[in-house]
Amino acid sequence: MIKDFTNGIVKMNPIFVLALGLCPALAISTSIDNAIGMGASVIFVLLFSNLMISLLRNVIPKEVRIPCFIVIIATFVTIVSLALQAYLPALNESLGIYVPLIVVNCIILGRAEAFASKNPVSRSVLDALGIGLGFTLSLIIISIIRELLGTGGISVFGYGVTLPFSPATFFIMPAGAFLVIGLLLGLFKRVGVIR
Amino acid sequence: MKESWKRVIVLTSIVAISVVVLSSIYNITEPEIAKQKEIKFEEMLQSIFPLATDYSGKEGIYEIYSNNKRVGYALMANGTGYGGYIEILVGVNEDKTIKGIKILKQTETPGLGAKITEKWFTDQFSGKPIGDIRLKKDDGKIDAITGATISSSAAVDTVYEGYMEKIKMMEEK
Amino acid sequence: MNELLALFIKYALVNNFILTMFLGLCPFFGVSKRLGDALSMGIAVTFVMLSASVITWLIAHFLLIPFNIQYMEIVVFILVIASFVQLIEMFIRKTSVSLYRALGIYLPLITTNCAILGIAEINFREGFSLLGSVASSLGAGVGFILALAIMSGMRERLEISAVPESFEGLPIAFITASLLSLSFIVFRGIGL
Repeated sequence: MIKDFTNGIVKMNPIFVLALGLCPALAISTSIDNAIGMGASVIFVLLFSNLMISLLRNVIPKEVRIPCFIVIIATFVTIVSLALQAYLPALNESLGIYVPLIVVNCIILGRAEAFASKNPVSRSVLDALGIGLGFTLSLIIISIIRELLGTGGISVFGYGVTLPFSPATFFIMPAGAFLVIGLLLGLFKRVGVIR
Repeated sequence: MKESWKRVIVLTSIVAISVVVLSSIYNITEPEIAKQKEIKFEEMLQSIFPLATDYSGKEGIYEIYSNNKRVGYALMANGTGYGGYIEILVGVNEDKTIKGIKILKQTETPGLGAKITEKWFTDQFSGKPIGDIRLKKDDGKIDAITGATISSSAAVDTVYEGYMEKIKMMEEK
Repeated sequence: MNELLALFIKYALVNNFILTMFLGLCPFFGVSKRLGDALSMGIAVTFVMLSASVITWLIAHFLLIPFNIQYMEIVVFILVIASFVQLIEMFIRKTSVSLYRALGIYLPLITTNCAILGIAEINFREGFSLLGSVASSLGAGVGFILALAIMSGMRERLEISAVPESFEGLPIAFITASLLSLSFIVFRGIGL
């Protein structure tokens, strides 16, 4: 059972192993605060969608399952979006269109289809938390690298350090995102952590 | 036949539940969302008119009051820069000179054109009559950002044209 | 007219969906090395983007806004897009076997493609007019095809180059994309 949770963090890490959910990973990883915000949002949606879909797995007919899943996921994404607009407007602005895009994040539909629709609630919840955590941690790692090298310092919730070297704006740019992930993927493969 | 009905019913029910849930959440959050927008706007106004206590107006033209006395106007200016839309709030004194500007929206290149949001650049606009709002290379009094002439002139043009357009609208009233 | 052209160029080059906004990456990295397949995929995506933009614009302006249910936007948009793609796939499968074989198989993948919902969201949030939405989605599609075409050519070369084993496949593809993205920065110089 506990494996359902830990799998999502390394062995089935959504970003580095499954290569899912890349869009937000590249777009949002320019700052650690944003990464945490996006990660939390994804965990919320993943958790509750998996929960609902698992609960309803014997009720939803196979033929219409994808549209049903999509509506359920989209509902939770909308809840997140409204909540952010109301209570965390600054984060909402930073995450921008990537908030509604959570609904097409392959991770969520992927887990719903592959796991939650076929497994009991407790396992589905653990799976969601594990995958969500794996996603968030990967996002944070990428952000630390990009923020550090790109702005010369890192900060979390207002507490930060600035290091005495000239940053390379390149890392904040899209090209930098591609490079960091490419290098990390190659590195993780080399070191044997994945594949 | 029964199978088809089941599919339709389940899907429709889920959509219906979704609508109910979301409209409830919306009702709860909507006042807060509206408040946030207002707070943000007021912050922008405050940054240009620190002593302001009230404002009124709409459609991009606002009158600013400090203790029931009008101290100036705030105009919304829109333009296009290097990377996209630029939106600037232009504060205007009673004597029609610029009180200050605040860049609300821009998507210029980070580290280059995005520097138009920096204080030293925006401060240049303060206290000047609209006639001076041009880049120095165009016989005005605004220094461009080194290496980001297009963003700088986009900002300047946005302020100039927005000012002209809104002042004209005010005079027509 | 100028504005429409500006929107087209903005989403084709300056804010290229794949290389600048990271939308539509799955097909980008999974694209085959054959230019033909890449183009077919690109055209399919462009067609869906354009149609989705128009349909979602109509729904937004005749349903969501008048009835003040903008908060249903995400649910409605994605349902519409998914249904539309389903319909198109069925239509193509029934009418033209050759077209189906050329484009049809990519269609199911397109539903959850960030690019489609992405352009619909952009149109809605930026408040583009109907024509503006058409311009932006065409631009996005063309930009998508462009990036896909260049990438498929490069992958062909990568296949026969000596790449360190741990970097084969996805890692080197990302690094290549990085260089491609860098080269697109030059488009920020277009005076719009």
